[in-house]
Amino acid sequence: MGFFVRFWGVRGSIPTPGPRTRRYGGNTSCYELRSDTTVLIFDAGTGLRELGISLLRNPPRAGLELHLFLSHPHWDHIQGFPFFGPAYLPTTTIHVYGSEKNENYQLLSGQMSNAYFPVAFKDLSARIVPRAFKNDVVQAGDFVVRRFDQKHPGGSAGFRVEHEGRAVVYATDSELDQLLTDPEGPSRNPRTLRRLPAAVVAPMKNADLLIADAQYTDEEYPKRIGWGHARSNTVVDLAIQAGVRQLALTHHDPMHSDRDVDAMVLTASERARSIGAELEVFGAREGVTLRVDRE
Amino acid sequence: MSTRTPTIDEDDVPQTMMNRLPAGFKPRPRRAHQLEQTAGPGSPSRHELSADMLVIGRGSAADLRIESDDVSRTHAQLQRVDDEYTIEDLDSRNGVFLNGLRVHAAVLRDGDQLQLGDVVFTYTEGT
Ligand SMILES: [Zn+2]
Ligand SMILES: [Zn+2]
Repeated sequence: MGFFVRFWGVRGSIPTPGPRTRRYGGNTSCYELRSDTTVLIFDAGTGLRELGISLLRNPPRAGLELHLFLSHPHWDHIQGFPFFGPAYLPTTTIHVYGSEKNENYQLLSGQMSNAYFPVAFKDLSARIVPRAFKNDVVQAGDFVVRRFDQKHPGGSAGFRVEHEGRAVVYATDSELDQLLTDPEGPSRNPRTLRRLPAAVVAPMKNADLLIADAQYTDEEYPKRIGWGHARSNTVVDLAIQAGVRQLALTHHDPMHSDRDVDAMVLTASERARSIGAELEVFGAREGVTLRVDRE
Repeated sequence: MSTRTPTIDEDDVPQTMMNRLPAGFKPRPRRAHQLEQTAGPGSPSRHELSADMLVIGRGSAADLRIESDDVSRTHAQLQRVDDEYTIEDLDSRNGVFLNGLRVHAAVLRDGDQLQLGDVVFTYTEGT
């Protein structure tokens, strides 16, 4: 029963309020994956604030139990945490998942130290429990979550989330273009399929939905090499190689307006069609909920 | 009769602000959010949205009734939260498509196209 994905923040790098970004939204990374009994949260960008408001509209009598996964501690993935209402309620439990050492826990609390924010991490009333992956797998409620490493300055984690035979992969802040089997391929012929090593494709294999960092166009990327983000066309090729059903382009560039994102989605779906893949491509948009467990 | 002398406390803040309004300031008129049906039985038609909650469907219980076999009896609901409408699929047979993408729910934005079976709406955001 029920596997839902809601986009709360889809902007990369910095919040971008204003009319140019109103439709796709200006909040930074935050994604809610939910079953009938479990709520998983991926990243704590500014979108987390509104997720908090929504969770508090109908809180369960026993209090909220939430599972928070962080891809990495860059600002746009943690900045919403101090504004997350449920963290201030003693009835809330938040499981924070990290690696064996669980540095995420410290990094979340670091931004709440003295000069940065008026409330201290230790003053949050919620029960905040550090949790660790074991061999890159963890059970969170009725979901199984696997983590994998990605190419990003300082590193970042991607997550494959499984529930009753369905899989959603959240893979943001990942510079796929530095991992290509033939790095010069795209400049020789941008139209040829950009192959990625099997180890990069494996975590996405046959996912029902891949939510992936697709920040740059082919034209923009040469000036952004090493910044840690992918070309949307390369993400399309990854999705095709992995046999993904649906691809959500996300981590929208702060410079990209709604029309720019539309254009990127059109280019990406045209590419999928020209390669002959049955891949549905769309732009992740704030306030949209998809249901993954149908068809 | 109150003989209270004016002091600055929290109750007085709104009044203080009113007194400082620029000359000529007035609240803007409100315009309702709208759904315009552009395809399917009953089109063209325009619906101003004012209820906090309404159901779109073929059945007699629906608030916005559509005589189409492609539309479920209670197909989708529109709910207003913080003056934004969210559409949600009520387990309909043919689903709710937002600008071509099948969605479970979505906060609507100006110009969005919604398809429910053979019925198409364009959403216009009010102010
Ligand atoms: Zn980021
Ligand atoms: Zn980053």
